[in-house]
Amino acid sequence: MKILKQITKPILLPHWSQDLLLAVPRIICGYLLTVEFGSPKFGLPWSNPDNGLGFFEVAFWFPQDVAQYGGIFAIAPAFFAWMGAFAEAVGGIFLLLGLQTRIASFLILCTMLIAIFMQQIQNGLWNCLPALGFLWIGLFYMILGSGRFGIDYLLTKKK
Amino acid sequence: MKTILITSAVILLLLTTSCVQKKHKKTVIFTLDVSKIESIKTVGIRGSDNPLSWDKDYPMKAIVKDSLYQVTVTGETGRICTEFKFSINDKVELNGKENRKIYFDTKNDTTKVSFAFDKD
Repeated sequence: MKILKQITKPILLPHWSQDLLLAVPRIICGYLLTVEFGSPKFGLPWSNPDNGLGFFEVAFWFPQDVAQYGGIFAIAPAFFAWMGAFAEAVGGIFLLLGLQTRIASFLILCTMLIAIFMQQIQNGLWNCLPALGFLWIGLFYMILGSGRFGIDYLLTKKK
Repeated sequence: MKTILITSAVILLLLTTSCVQKKHKKTVIFTLDVSKIESIKTVGIRGSDNPLSWDKDYPMKAIVKDSLYQVTVTGETGRICTEFKFSINDKVELNGKENRKIYFDTKNDTTKVSFAFDKD
């Protein structure tokens, strides 16, 4: 429990306005991950019904894409596809809310590393930019946590 | 601790591999009225779901010369609809407008649809 509390407790900046400013990219990127990038491939209440996805289901085409990365991804494509889609869709909403921010950020960071090195790098650096952006966001909040403007702060605040 | 970790890993693996969207074989018979168009050389359909693509035509065959063209497209998908546009002589219809969209017949594997070229 002590470890979980350490993981949850955010690093606070000297003034609340600094935390507020840093909450902006966290909330925007969390929103983009869960709504724009995650929900087309992972079944959530806000997924487009035309995609025919059940709750927490990964899209049929995503394991096929993941299998093309080769190596360990070709051995268990459904597992890696589900984890990647979960990291974006559910990790995104956790990042937005500032709930278990470090765990969500870690999952997002791993997913973005795979997206960069297994999928986008052969298409050139320019195509890596979206994944690189989310990679830095993941890295950043894995260190800092949610700041004052997230649920993690409320959960760990001393009364 | 080791047992808990192994059990969790097995449960996670089972959970994730069983949560992949099911694919269904869907067949769509597209019929296109081209009677208002002159000097037709090729007629095709483009779309988002395999085997269609947005880059090149999937050819349609004339069932009534210079009037009606038809193609049967079969593919596996998990989606409940498909998006497409028709093209004549490599010129895609409905320029600047939204793609055509049809929902698959839920009772049958085959869906039959008819359209007129470049008309909503």
